[in-house]
Amino acid sequence: MLKNAEDLEKLRNELLKDKKKEQTQIAVCSGTGCRANASEKVVAAFRQGLQDLGMEDEVELKNTGCHGFCEQGPIAVILPQDICYLRVKEENVEEILEKTVRDGEVIEELLFEDEGTKEKIIEESKIPFYKNQERILLAENRKLDPKNIDDYIAHGGYRALSKVLQEMTPEEVMDQVDKANLRGRGGGGFPAGKKFRTTAQAPGEPKYVIVNADEGDPGAYMDRSILEGNPHRVLEGLIIGAYAIGSSQGFVYVRQEYPLALENLTIALEQAREKGFLGGNILDSGFNFDVAIHRGAGAFVSGESSALMTAIEGWVGEPRPKYIRTAVSGIHGKPSNLNNVETWANIPLIMDKGVDWFLNIGTENNPGTKILSLVGNVRNTGLVEIAMGTSLRQLIYDIGGGIPGDKKFKAVQTGGPSGGCIPTQYLDEPIDFDNLSRIGSMMGSGGMIVMDEETCMVDVARYFLNFLKEESCGKCTPCREGIKQMLDILDKISQGKGEEGHVELLQELGDFVEEASLCALGTTAPYPVLSTIKYFQDEYEAHIKEKECPAGVCKELIAYVIDEKLCTGCALCRKNCPSDAIAGEPKETHTVIQGKCIKCGICLEVCPPRFAAVKKEKAGKKVLVEEGGN
Amino acid sequence: MEKSKFVGLRLTPDEEGLAEELQGLLGLETKSSVFLYALQQLAVAYDLIPGERGKVYHNDWRKTVNRLAELQEQAQAHARFLEKIKNQSEGMFNDMVEMIKDVDTIVDQHGCDEGRLIQILLDIQRENNWLSKEAVDWVARRLEIPANRIYHIATFYKAFSLEPRGRHSVAICTGTACHVRGSMRLLDRVSQALKIKPGQTSADLKFSLDTVNCLGCCALGPVIQVDDEYYSNPSSQELEEIKEQCE
Repeated sequence: MLKNAEDLEKLRNELLKDKKKEQTQIAVCSGTGCRANASEKVVAAFRQGLQDLGMEDEVELKNTGCHGFCEQGPIAVILPQDICYLRVKEENVEEILEKTVRDGEVIEELLFEDEGTKEKIIEESKIPFYKNQERILLAENRKLDPKNIDDYIAHGGYRALSKVLQEMTPEEVMDQVDKANLRGRGGGGFPAGKKFRTTAQAPGEPKYVIVNADEGDPGAYMDRSILEGNPHRVLEGLIIGAYAIGSSQGFVYVRQEYPLALENLTIALEQAREKGFLGGNILDSGFNFDVAIHRGAGAFVSGESSALMTAIEGWVGEPRPKYIRTAVSGIHGKPSNLNNVETWANIPLIMDKGVDWFLNIGTENNPGTKILSLVGNVRNTGLVEIAMGTSLRQLIYDIGGGIPGDKKFKAVQTGGPSGGCIPTQYLDEPIDFDNLSRIGSMMGSGGMIVMDEETCMVDVARYFLNFLKEESCGKCTPCREGIKQMLDILDKISQGKGEEGHVELLQELGDFVEEASLCALGTTAPYPVLSTIKYFQDEYEAHIKEKECPAGVCKELIAYVIDEKLCTGCALCRKNCPSDAIAGEPKETHTVIQGKCIKCGICLEVCPPRFAAVKKEKAGKKVLVEEGGN
Repeated sequence: MEKSKFVGLRLTPDEEGLAEELQGLLGLETKSSVFLYALQQLAVAYDLIPGERGKVYHNDWRKTVNRLAELQEQAQAHARFLEKIKNQSEGMFNDMVEMIKDVDTIVDQHGCDEGRLIQILLDIQRENNWLSKEAVDWVARRLEIPANRIYHIATFYKAFSLEPRGRHSVAICTGTACHVRGSMRLLDRVSQALKIKPGQTSADLKFSLDTVNCLGCCALGPVIQVDDEYYSNPSSQELEEIKEQCE
C-alpha cells in the first residue's frame, strides 16, 4: 500500500534499480490475435527452454499485450536488440534461444521480408508496418506484462496521477484537457474537456465516470487491445478524470466477448486497490474513488451512451431520448461522464508529457493519434496507430503494404457499420474527424476495412444493413421498420429482382431513417447504403438493369461454368462438389448442372491453375436462362 | 405336556426337497414340524379338530411353490422400482436444491442488488449453460422483481439462452473482415457438417452453432471458434477432425 507520492517514487526507483542490469528480454505477444495462432504454446516452450539451458535468471520472459502486427503472429521480440521474429512456432524456440539469445546470431527465416525488395529486416522499428506509425498509446504494449502493476510503475505509470493529485486543482486538470483539444476517440470527436466540465458543473451527487469498452463494431478491436495490453493506462486516466470531475464511483463497461480484457482488467483493479491507487484517501490527497466492472451481454446498441447507462442500472440497454445529455443526467439521473477507452488512455499522457507535446502530434483541429484496426483485403492486417492527418494512401499502402494478390483497391469502409465507403479518388485525403465526415463517412471507433475489386458494394451495403437490422433494439419505428424495408430492397437488387426506381427509393428511405430515428444507431444506419450509392451507383445499375454483379459476389447473379476446351476431366471438381452438381466421366469434359449448383465456389478453388477450366460467369442469369435451370 | 418322538420316515430326494421348501415357506424350525403342520391341516379339512384352514391349499404342491416364488419376485421388482423412483425424485429434488443454492451464491456475490441483474444472469448462464425457468423464477423472487423483466433481458441480449445449449459451442465469425474473406461459405460448410443451422443446438446436445459479429482476429479470417480454440478457414477434412476431437 502506497501512502503518498513519495512512496510511489521510492517503489519506482527500487523497481528500476532491479531492472538496471542490461537484461535480455523476450517479449512474446499474447493478444487475442496471436493467442489464436497458438502463442501460448510458444511462451510455454520459451519457459521450458530457458529452464533447460539454465538461463532463467539472465533472460526475462514477458507475456505482453498486442503488438499490432496480427497478420504475422505470433510475434516475439528480443530486447534490447529489438530483433523481431514473426510467425514463431513452438519448434523455432530452441533455435532462437541457442542462436539469438545465447550467441547473438540472427535467424534469417523468421525475419520480416519486404515484398518488393526481398530485403530482410531485423529491427521491429524498421519494419514498414511499424516505421510509418506514430505509436504513443500502443508502443508500451510490448514492454509491459499487463498482469503486473510493477511493470507499469517502472515505466512511469501513475506518475501523472501522483502529479495531478499533488500539484493540480480539478479546474486545472480540465483546463489542460481543454487546451490539448482532446477529442472523443469513440467516434463523435466531441471535445473531452468540454464534456468533463459539463459533468463537473451539473447539479447532483454522486457523479459517475464511465469507460465505454463495449466495442461492438465488426472489424474493430483497438479498445480491446489497450485493455488487454495496458489496462492500468486506462485506469489511471479514469482516476484523473474522476478527480477533475469530482466523482467517487467509476464503471468500466466491457463486452463479455472479450474474456482476456476482462481478466486483465480485473487483475489490474485488484492490484491498483492493493497499491492504494483506488479506495480511500488516494496517495494522501483526501480523494476517494473506486471502480466496478460491468459486463455487456452482447448487444451492439448497448454501446450507445444512454443505453449503456440503462444497462448499468440493471435494465435492458435500450437508448432513451437525450434532450438532457447523459453528462448531466445519466446513471440513476445523476451526472455521468462517459468516454471511450482510447480517450481515457490519452489523459495520463497529456498530464505527464504536457499539452504542447500533445498538440505537436497530429493536425491543428485534430491533435494526437488515432488507433485504427486495418483489416480486410490488405497485406498487413493489424492494429495501427497513426498521427491524425496521415493520408489514407499512407495507411493502406505504406503501413498496410497494399492489396494482396496485386488486385486493385476499390474502397475503404470506415467508421463501423454506420460509416461509409470511401473510393479511390479520396485516397490522398488526410484521416481525421472532420475530413472523414466531409467526404461522406466518419471516423467512428476506427475500423478501416479495405476492399479490393472483387468486393461487391451492393453486398457490402446489404451486409451492414443486415447487421444493423439484427442489432436495432426496435424501440423506435423509423429505425426498426426503415432498416428492414431498405434491406428488403437491397435483397431484391442482389437477387436480380431490382426495379427501376429502387435506388431513388433507397435514398428517400435513407433520408427519412436518418432524420427520424432516436439514437445514433438509427440516424447513421443508412450511411453504408447512401455512401455506396453516391460513389458506386454504376454497380447498383448493373445489378438492376443488366442483372449482373460486376464483382461476381451476389450468388443469385453468378454461375460457375466449365470451359470445354480447357477441361481435361481430372474429376477434382466433381469429387469436391458438396452438392453433386458436376457431371462427366473421368478424362472427359465435365459440366456444371446449374439447377443443382449451390454456388459455393469450391470447384473454382480446386481446379488446378494449369488447367483453369472453371470460370465464374458474372452474367449468371443468362447462363441459367440458356440452360433452362432454376 | 410330555412329547413323544416322531420317527421312522424315509424320504425320497424329491420328497426331501419338497419338505425343505415348505419349511422355508412356512417359516418352520424343523422338517418334522412340516409334517405336523400337514397332519393338523388334514384334521382341519376332515373336521376332526376345529381350526382355520391353512393358506396353502392345493393339490399340486410344486405349482403352489413356484407361483409363490413368482409373486415374491414380482413384489421385489416392484420394491426396486419404487426405490428407483424415490431416488430419482430425490435426485431431481437435490439437483433443484443445488441449482437454487448456486443461484443464491451468485445473487449474494452481487450483493442481492437488482442493479447487478444483468451480471447475475451472465454468471448463471456461464454456470449452467442456460437460464432455466426455475433459475429465472428464483432470481425474480430473490431480487423481488417481476420475472418479466428478466425475460426482457434474456431475450434482448445475445449472451443468454432460454434453452439448454450444446456441450460444445461453435461460432463462425461473420464480422466485416471475415465476411469479405468468405465467412458465409465457411458457415455453409460447417452447417452442413454439423447438420444444424446457426442458432440451433443438435438433438444430442453436443453442438450449438452460432454466428458472431467479430472475434477480433481479423487477420486470420474467416475464423471459426470451437469452445476456446480458434481455427482459420479449416478445410472440410480439417472440420471433420475438429468434430471428432469433441467428446
